[in-house]
Amino acid sequence: MNTFSKYKLQRQIGMVLTYAGIGVALIFFLFPFVWILTTSLKGNEDYFTFPPVWIPMEPSLVHYYRLFTHGNGWLYFKNSLAISSLSMLAALLFSVPTAYSIARFRFGGSLFSNFLLLLRTMPAIALVIPIYVLYSKLGMTNNYFGLILLYTVFYIPFAVWLMIGFIRDVPKEIEEAALIDGCSRLQALLRVVIPIIVPGLAVVALFAFITTWNEFLFAVILTGSETKTMMVLVASYTSGSPTDTFYGEASASVVLGIIPAFFVAFALQRYLVKGLALGAVKG
Amino acid sequence: MSIARHQIIRLGVFVMALSMLMGNMATQHGEAAKPYEGTTVKVIVNAEFVKYAMTLIEKELFDKHGIKLEVEVIPGEAFVTKTLLEFTSGRSPWDLIMFTPTYMADYFRHFEPLEPFIKKLNLRLDLDDIAKEYQISNMYWGGTLYAMPLDGDIHTMFYNKVAFERPENKQKFKEKYGYDLAPPQTWKQWDDQAAFFTGWGWDGSDHKLFGAGASYKENNFSFNWWRQRFFVYGGQYFDENMKPLLNTKPGIRALQEMVDTIQYYPPGVLLFEAEEPKTMLIKGEVPMLVSWTSTGKRVGDPNQSLIVDKAGFGMLPGHQVDGKIIRASPNTGGRSWAISKYSKVKDATAVVLEFVSSPEQSLKIVMDPKTIMDPWRNSHFTSEQFRSAFPGAGEYLDSIKESFGQTVPGVLIPGGSEYQLRIAEMVSRALQKSMTPKEALDQAVEEWDKITKRRGLKKQQELWLQQMAAMKETGVTFRPELADK
Repeated sequence: MNTFSKYKLQRQIGMVLTYAGIGVALIFFLFPFVWILTTSLKGNEDYFTFPPVWIPMEPSLVHYYRLFTHGNGWLYFKNSLAISSLSMLAALLFSVPTAYSIARFRFGGSLFSNFLLLLRTMPAIALVIPIYVLYSKLGMTNNYFGLILLYTVFYIPFAVWLMIGFIRDVPKEIEEAALIDGCSRLQALLRVVIPIIVPGLAVVALFAFITTWNEFLFAVILTGSETKTMMVLVASYTSGSPTDTFYGEASASVVLGIIPAFFVAFALQRYLVKGLALGAVKG
Repeated sequence: MSIARHQIIRLGVFVMALSMLMGNMATQHGEAAKPYEGTTVKVIVNAEFVKYAMTLIEKELFDKHGIKLEVEVIPGEAFVTKTLLEFTSGRSPWDLIMFTPTYMADYFRHFEPLEPFIKKLNLRLDLDDIAKEYQISNMYWGGTLYAMPLDGDIHTMFYNKVAFERPENKQKFKEKYGYDLAPPQTWKQWDDQAAFFTGWGWDGSDHKLFGAGASYKENNFSFNWWRQRFFVYGGQYFDENMKPLLNTKPGIRALQEMVDTIQYYPPGVLLFEAEEPKTMLIKGEVPMLVSWTSTGKRVGDPNQSLIVDKAGFGMLPGHQVDGKIIRASPNTGGRSWAISKYSKVKDATAVVLEFVSSPEQSLKIVMDPKTIMDPWRNSHFTSEQFRSAFPGAGEYLDSIKESFGQTVPGVLIPGGSEYQLRIAEMVSRALQKSMTPKEALDQAVEEWDKITKRRGLKKQQELWLQQMAAMKETGVTFRPELADK
């Protein structure tokens, strides 16, 4: 065997091993999701059979139907969608100018940005009671605005820190050129900087959406029957030793809970890798 | 002709007047019978299957009283925090509260005592139809009635008759252990049988089956399984000075037995909650299991159970002393109903409480397998409808009825769940073999002392003495000498 053939063989073996590794990792990470998905389509009698029913013979959407008709699935789904989307937009709206002022003008000195990060170190469980008491006094429990405000405030420090990195990556000279051409600061930000940092905005938006969508503690403590979110519904199906009767609905609620986050991630994926890499280069 | 027409007109007027009068009377009668018509009672529960339970009775409730239910679910993980936060802020969006009586010490000040409603509204709660032991631990606080049960959460024993009746099994067991193979009456017999059944096809198959089932997960499950044995060996939580008695002979013996026999249980038993071993029982993979009484409904459901006509039911094994078997069935709290002190429709809520806990309506809830609610009224145990619901249902209900007389409560003082979680953690450490039973229980005692100190020794002691007296009334006292027998 000559050197070229040996090299080719080694490459092929390397490729096979790589794909095999990726395949194993995929199975490992996707299996729970596939299992939940198939469980949501199974009949009650199929959950515990041995050998397991991997793919239901007669898949049915009955659990999804029940979720929407017997439970509050549709309401909670809409609540999650509204709260997550609005929190995401609010986080972007506030974090971009804050990050811009810190990146370009060292707003608040070095202390301010460190202080912002400090807010992230506080565990949610330590805050839940004081926040409940405050919200209760202000009449902001069981209220969309209260939750959106809270999630926005919680997410802003992380978003600002991410955005600072992205904005610092944009050469100052481009902005200066825009200013010379007659743009105001705001126009330079809106017309020059923001289009360049779209991948960064996508990352911030995606993380904000998913974090809010998956949040449970505040969603259960600060809401009432009209304002609960999907995560609360998922937990109410799975808590307290659920019988097999409700595994279908529990799985359906999980699948339904994943779909929007999946679509947002899918829609933003082309920005995602670029955005993550951009933010990582410079701090 | 004209007379006839005249008469017809008179008759018509008379009939109209009569029907108007009757209609009016009927309306008046209806109003009298439905004084709460149009009222909405807000109910809070901790899982979707409990909400489902309410759908079984809400139509009849509306037909009878005109009251509508609005049921909200707060998942169990956040239920106590959320409800107590609402209550301590001096309000509550709910009228009828489902709660776990383990937390009665924390909740009762937010509940309305029920006696005034019994007098005022002439409520029929049929208290004589409930075992006294269960009333004391699940319905009263400081001698005052606050709650009515929804779910009679106690443990009983289930077994697969095939394992105990196959002649080959009987012969092999007798040869090895020197006594007859029969459903276990003592923990010693249980452990012998678990060892005997492990690793071979006791059902005549070639499968390597398990010796017994259990739920040993740390989050309170391990505590419940430990106290099945702890109390039969004479254990008690504290002495009268609030000194924890966990690391005394009864505690150590109970835990040592669990550690010594864990090899006979399915792999993963340390992570099992309620449903996993129940599934193994109904699929014929374990020959015996102690679990919540709702297991019987799964056992009897032909859609999921392979042992419908092979299932046996009994009381928990105990400890034989001087020819008498001492038994203890953990009362794991279950679920009860109470009226919120902050409700604006207390009378209507009391009527709902009476309705939902009435013998007829509560029977519907406890009979339905989807609710996993356990029976709790004597009339549930004797109901012909329930007794014929599946093969062996009568035997199943008899075993529950007998077990109700042997129940032992959890730690029902403020912080009860915290005490229970600490001992559960330590029991699990011993089961994981990272500590010896003695070390684990010594550590648990230290943890309990810290909780007591933090919550105030005097206050805790005062309430413990109340519980200790109530337990004494049902025959539970500290008798460490039993552990030597």
